[in-house]
Amino acid sequence: MRLGEPARLQAAINITPLVDVVLVLLIIFMVMAPEMRKGPDVNLPNTAKPREQGDERGRILVTLDQTGGLWIDDQPIAAEEFGDALRAAAGDKPDPKVVIRGDARLRIGDVRLAMAAIEDAGFRGVGLIAKRTGAEAGGE
Amino acid sequence: MQMNGGASGSELQSEINITPLVDVVLVLLIIFMVVVPLLLKGYDANIARTSTDGPPAQSAETQVVLSLGATACPILQPPIGDGLPAACRVSLAGQEIAVADLGARVAEIMSPRPVDGRVLFLAADPRLNYEAVLRIVDLAKSGVDDLTIEFTTTD
Repeated sequence: MRLGEPARLQAAINITPLVDVVLVLLIIFMVMAPEMRKGPDVNLPNTAKPREQGDERGRILVTLDQTGGLWIDDQPIAAEEFGDALRAAAGDKPDPKVVIRGDARLRIGDVRLAMAAIEDAGFRGVGLIAKRTGAEAGGE
Repeated sequence: MQMNGGASGSELQSEINITPLVDVVLVLLIIFMVVVPLLLKGYDANIARTSTDGPPAQSAETQVVLSLGATACPILQPPIGDGLPAACRVSLAGQEIAVADLGARVAEIMSPRPVDGRVLFLAADPRLNYEAVLRIVDLAKSGVDDLTIEFTTTD
Protein backbone atom coordinates (compact mmCIF):
# COMPACT_ATOMS: atom_id res chain seq x y z
CA MET A 1 0.00 0.00 0.00
CA ARG A 2 1.76 3.08 -1.15
CA LEU A 3 0.50 6.51 -0.28
CA GLY A 4 -0.16 8.99 -3.04
CA GLU A 5 -0.67 6.40 -5.73
CA PRO A 6 -4.39 6.23 -6.26
CA ALA A 7 -6.47 3.88 -8.39
CA ARG A 8 -4.37 0.76 -8.16
CA LEU A 9 -5.76 -2.60 -7.19
CA GLN A 10 -3.94 -4.43 -4.48
CA ALA A 11 -3.12 -7.95 -5.65
CA ALA A 12 -1.06 -9.39 -2.76
CA ILE A 13 -2.80 -11.30 0.00
CA ASN A 14 -2.73 -9.44 3.28
CA ILE A 15 -0.93 -11.83 5.62
CA THR A 16 -0.90 -9.57 8.67
CA PRO A 17 -4.04 -11.03 10.33
CA LEU A 18 -2.65 -14.50 9.69
CA VAL A 19 0.62 -13.59 11.40
CA ASP A 20 -1.26 -12.11 14.35
CA VAL A 21 -3.36 -15.22 14.81
CA VAL A 22 -0.31 -17.47 14.59
CA LEU A 23 1.54 -15.37 17.17
CA VAL A 24 -1.40 -15.51 19.54
CA LEU A 25 -1.61 -19.30 19.13
CA LEU A 26 2.11 -19.52 19.84
CA ILE A 27 1.62 -17.53 23.04
CA ILE A 28 -1.26 -19.77 24.12
CA PHE A 29 0.80 -22.91 23.63
CA MET A 30 3.77 -21.42 25.42
CA VAL A 31 1.59 -20.62 28.40
CA MET A 32 0.16 -24.13 28.43
CA ALA A 33 3.46 -25.98 27.98
CA PRO A 34 4.82 -25.58 31.54
CA GLU A 35 1.50 -26.80 32.95
CA MET A 36 1.69 -29.96 30.92
CA ARG A 37 5.23 -30.77 32.01
CA LYS A 38 5.16 -34.22 33.51
CA GLY A 39 7.63 -33.52 36.26
CA PRO A 40 6.88 -33.81 39.95
CA ASP A 41 4.63 -31.41 41.76
CA VAL A 42 6.67 -29.34 44.18
CA ASN A 43 5.70 -26.67 46.69
CA LEU A 44 8.74 -24.44 46.66
CA PRO A 45 9.67 -22.77 49.94
CA ASN A 46 8.75 -19.10 50.23
CA THR A 47 11.49 -16.77 51.37
CA ALA A 48 11.99 -13.03 51.44
CA LYS A 49 14.89 -12.43 49.04
CA PRO A 50 16.10 -15.39 46.96
CA ARG A 51 18.98 -14.62 44.59
CA GLU A 52 19.14 -15.26 40.86
CA GLN A 53 20.46 -18.70 40.03
CA GLY A 54 21.67 -18.12 36.49
CA ASP A 55 20.01 -19.37 33.33
CA GLU A 56 19.40 -22.78 31.89
CA ARG A 57 22.82 -23.31 30.32
CA GLY A 58 24.85 -25.73 32.39
CA ARG A 59 22.08 -26.16 34.89
CA ILE A 60 21.09 -29.58 36.19
CA LEU A 61 17.72 -29.56 37.86
CA VAL A 62 17.40 -31.97 40.77
CA THR A 63 13.95 -32.19 42.32
CA LEU A 64 13.16 -33.58 45.74
CA ASP A 65 9.45 -34.24 46.06
CA GLN A 66 7.43 -34.37 49.24
CA THR A 67 8.20 -38.04 49.86
CA GLY A 68 11.93 -37.56 49.32
CA GLY A 69 11.89 -39.02 45.80
CA LEU A 70 14.69 -37.84 43.51
CA TRP A 71 14.21 -36.47 40.01
CA ILE A 72 16.82 -35.25 37.55
CA ASP A 73 15.52 -32.92 34.85
CA ASP A 74 11.98 -34.20 35.49
CA GLN A 75 12.89 -37.90 35.22
CA PRO A 76 12.46 -40.06 38.34
CA ILE A 77 15.74 -41.59 39.51
CA ALA A 78 16.34 -44.38 42.03
CA ALA A 79 18.57 -43.31 44.91
CA GLU A 80 21.27 -45.90 44.13
CA GLU A 81 21.63 -44.70 40.52
CA PHE A 82 21.60 -41.04 41.48
CA GLY A 83 25.34 -40.34 41.24
CA ASP A 84 25.74 -41.97 37.83
CA ALA A 85 22.60 -40.31 36.48
CA LEU A 86 23.84 -36.96 37.69
CA ARG A 87 27.19 -37.34 35.95
CA ALA A 88 25.38 -38.48 32.80
CA ALA A 89 23.14 -35.40 32.96
CA ALA A 90 26.19 -33.17 33.34
CA GLY A 91 27.71 -34.77 30.23
CA ASP A 92 30.13 -32.35 28.69
CA LYS A 93 28.49 -29.19 29.92
CA PRO A 94 31.31 -26.73 30.46
CA ASP A 95 30.34 -25.45 33.89
CA PRO A 96 27.59 -27.62 35.36
CA LYS A 97 25.67 -26.24 38.28
CA VAL A 98 23.27 -28.37 40.26
CA VAL A 99 20.15 -26.74 41.63
CA ILE A 100 17.73 -28.44 44.01
CA ARG A 101 14.02 -27.81 43.91
CA GLY A 102 13.04 -29.15 47.29
CA ASP A 103 9.52 -29.37 48.62
CA ALA A 104 8.79 -26.99 51.50
CA ARG A 105 7.43 -29.84 53.63
CA LEU A 106 10.70 -31.78 53.62
CA ARG A 107 13.00 -31.95 56.59
CA ILE A 108 16.38 -30.28 56.26
CA GLY A 109 18.03 -33.66 56.94
CA ASP A 110 16.57 -35.08 53.69
CA VAL A 111 17.82 -32.12 51.69
CA ARG A 112 21.23 -32.40 53.30
CA LEU A 113 21.44 -36.07 52.28
CA ALA A 114 20.70 -35.11 48.68
CA MET A 115 23.33 -32.37 48.86
CA ALA A 116 25.84 -34.88 50.19
CA ALA A 117 25.00 -37.26 47.32
CA ILE A 118 25.53 -34.44 44.81
CA GLU A 119 28.84 -33.60 46.46
CA ASP A 120 29.89 -37.26 46.31
CA ALA A 121 29.09 -37.31 42.59
CA GLY A 122 31.75 -34.64 42.13
CA PHE A 123 29.80 -31.37 42.04
CA ARG A 124 30.82 -28.53 44.31
CA GLY A 125 28.05 -26.44 45.72
CA VAL A 126 24.35 -26.42 44.91
CA GLY A 127 21.61 -23.86 44.59
CA LEU A 128 18.58 -24.31 46.80
CA ILE A 129 15.60 -22.99 44.86
CA ALA A 130 12.98 -20.92 46.58
CA LYS A 131 10.38 -18.46 45.45
CA ARG A 132 9.95 -14.96 46.68
CA THR A 133 7.17 -14.49 49.21
CA GLY A 134 4.14 -13.09 47.42
CA ALA A 135 5.39 -13.90 43.91
CA GLU A 136 2.74 -15.95 42.17
CA ALA A 137 4.95 -18.36 40.29
CA GLY A 138 8.29 -16.60 40.45
CA GLY A 139 10.35 -19.69 41.14
CA GLU A 140 8.66 -22.01 38.72
CA MET B 1 -5.97 -0.02 6.03
CA GLN B 2 -8.67 0.47 3.48
CA MET B 3 -12.05 -0.36 4.89
CA ASN B 4 -14.09 -0.61 1.76
CA GLY B 5 -12.10 -2.89 -0.49
CA GLY B 6 -9.57 -2.24 -3.19
CA ALA B 7 -12.00 -0.52 -5.55
CA SER B 8 -11.91 2.90 -3.93
CA GLY B 9 -8.18 3.43 -4.07
CA SER B 10 -8.49 7.11 -4.75
CA GLU B 11 -8.59 8.19 -1.10
CA LEU B 12 -5.41 8.94 0.77
CA GLN B 13 -4.84 6.85 3.87
CA SER B 14 -4.36 9.13 6.82
CA GLU B 15 -4.34 6.71 9.78
CA ILE B 16 -1.12 5.45 11.29
CA ASN B 17 -0.55 1.78 10.54
CA ILE B 18 -0.22 0.16 13.97
CA THR B 19 0.11 -3.42 12.73
CA PRO B 20 3.95 -3.53 12.76
CA LEU B 21 3.88 -2.01 16.23
CA VAL B 22 1.52 -4.73 17.44
CA ASP B 23 3.69 -7.42 15.89
CA VAL B 24 6.81 -6.13 17.58
CA VAL B 25 5.05 -5.90 20.95
CA LEU B 26 3.75 -9.47 20.62
CA VAL B 27 7.21 -10.76 19.81
CA LEU B 28 8.65 -8.92 22.83
CA LEU B 29 5.92 -10.48 24.96
CA ILE B 30 6.90 -13.92 23.69
CA ILE B 31 10.57 -13.30 24.42
CA PHE B 32 9.86 -12.28 28.00
CA MET B 33 7.51 -15.20 28.52
CA VAL B 34 10.23 -17.61 27.40
CA VAL B 35 12.92 -16.05 29.56
CA VAL B 36 11.05 -15.62 32.84
CA PRO B 37 10.41 -19.31 33.70
CA LEU B 38 14.07 -20.10 33.02
CA LEU B 39 15.19 -17.79 35.80
CA LEU B 40 15.19 -19.72 39.03
CA LYS B 41 15.86 -18.01 42.32
CA GLY B 42 17.40 -19.47 45.41
CA TYR B 43 20.45 -19.71 47.65
CA ASP B 44 23.91 -21.08 46.99
CA ALA B 45 25.02 -23.58 49.58
CA ASN B 46 27.84 -26.04 50.07
CA ILE B 47 28.37 -29.14 52.12
CA ALA B 48 31.24 -28.66 54.53
CA ARG B 49 34.16 -30.88 53.56
CA THR B 50 35.10 -33.56 56.02
CA SER B 51 38.58 -33.52 57.50
CA THR B 52 39.75 -36.44 55.33
CA ASP B 53 39.37 -34.36 52.16
CA GLY B 54 42.19 -32.02 53.05
CA PRO B 55 42.96 -29.17 55.38
CA PRO B 56 39.96 -27.23 56.66
CA ALA B 57 39.32 -23.93 54.94
CA GLN B 58 39.30 -22.04 58.21
CA SER B 59 40.76 -22.64 61.62
CA ALA B 60 38.53 -23.39 64.58
CA GLU B 61 38.92 -19.88 66.03
CA THR B 62 37.74 -17.97 62.97
CA GLN B 63 34.88 -20.17 61.84
CA VAL B 64 31.41 -19.03 62.74
CA VAL B 65 28.82 -21.71 63.40
CA LEU B 66 25.10 -21.10 63.36
CA SER B 67 23.35 -23.87 65.27
CA LEU B 68 19.66 -24.55 64.92
CA GLY B 69 18.27 -26.85 67.57
CA ALA B 70 14.90 -28.52 67.60
CA THR B 71 14.17 -27.42 71.18
CA ALA B 72 15.31 -23.77 70.99
CA CYS B 73 13.62 -23.30 67.63
CA PRO B 74 10.82 -25.85 67.21
CA ILE B 75 10.05 -25.45 63.51
CA LEU B 76 9.25 -29.02 62.54
CA GLN B 77 6.37 -28.05 60.23
CA PRO B 78 6.36 -25.46 57.45
CA PRO B 79 5.90 -22.05 59.10
CA ILE B 80 2.47 -20.53 58.71
CA GLY B 81 2.45 -17.22 56.87
CA ASP B 82 5.61 -15.21 56.22
CA GLY B 83 8.66 -15.03 58.42
CA LEU B 84 9.51 -17.19 61.39
CA PRO B 85 7.97 -17.73 64.82
CA ALA B 86 9.23 -15.05 67.22
CA ALA B 87 9.97 -17.66 69.88
CA CYS B 88 12.67 -19.21 67.71
CA ARG B 89 16.15 -18.79 69.18
CA VAL B 90 19.33 -19.74 67.37
CA SER B 91 22.93 -20.08 68.49
CA LEU B 92 25.44 -17.98 66.56
CA ALA B 93 29.13 -18.44 67.44
CA GLY B 94 28.15 -19.87 70.82
CA GLN B 95 25.74 -17.06 71.73
CA GLU B 96 22.03 -17.66 71.85
CA ILE B 97 20.11 -14.88 70.11
CA ALA B 98 16.56 -14.32 68.91
CA VAL B 99 16.14 -15.17 65.24
CA ALA B 100 15.04 -11.61 64.51
CA ASP B 101 18.52 -10.32 65.43
CA LEU B 102 20.29 -12.83 63.21
CA GLY B 103 20.76 -10.63 60.16
CA ALA B 104 22.30 -7.78 62.15
CA ARG B 105 24.60 -10.08 64.16
CA VAL B 106 25.87 -11.92 61.07
CA ALA B 107 26.52 -8.60 59.35
CA GLU B 108 28.43 -7.38 62.41
CA ILE B 109 30.67 -10.45 62.45
CA MET B 110 31.18 -10.85 58.70
CA SER B 111 31.46 -7.27 57.41
CA PRO B 112 35.08 -6.68 58.53
CA ARG B 113 36.21 -9.89 56.86
CA PRO B 114 37.48 -10.23 53.28
CA VAL B 115 34.92 -11.73 50.91
CA ASP B 116 36.51 -15.18 50.82
CA GLY B 117 36.47 -15.33 54.62
CA ARG B 118 32.74 -14.78 54.87
CA VAL B 119 31.74 -18.35 55.58
CA LEU B 120 28.89 -19.34 57.84
CA PHE B 121 28.68 -22.95 58.97
CA LEU B 122 25.12 -24.04 59.43
CA ALA B 123 24.52 -26.92 61.82
CA ALA B 124 20.81 -27.62 61.72
CA ASP B 125 18.96 -30.38 63.49
CA PRO B 126 17.98 -32.78 60.68
CA ARG B 127 14.37 -32.86 61.85
CA LEU B 128 13.84 -29.15 61.22
CA ASN B 129 11.64 -28.06 58.33
CA TYR B 130 13.39 -27.19 55.08
CA GLU B 131 11.38 -24.06 54.36
CA ALA B 132 12.04 -22.65 57.84
CA VAL B 133 15.78 -23.32 57.52
CA LEU B 134 15.84 -21.57 54.14
CA ARG B 135 14.18 -18.55 55.74
CA ILE B 136 16.91 -18.52 58.38
CA VAL B 137 19.51 -18.71 55.58
CA ASP B 138 17.74 -15.80 53.94
CA LEU B 139 17.96 -13.77 57.17
CA ALA B 140 21.64 -14.59 57.59
CA LYS B 141 22.39 -13.53 54.01
CA SER B 142 20.30 -10.36 54.23
CA GLY B 143 22.88 -8.29 56.10
CA VAL B 144 26.06 -9.06 54.19
CA ASP B 145 27.05 -9.66 50.57
CA ASP B 146 28.78 -12.79 49.29
CA LEU B 147 28.17 -14.91 52.36
CA THR B 148 28.99 -18.58 51.77
CA ILE B 149 26.80 -21.10 53.55
CA GLU B 150 28.35 -24.44 54.46
CA PHE B 151 25.98 -27.13 55.66
CA THR B 152 27.50 -29.20 58.41
CA THR B 153 26.26 -31.74 60.92
CA THR B 154 25.05 -30.98 64.40
CA ASP B 155 27.77 -32.97 66.16
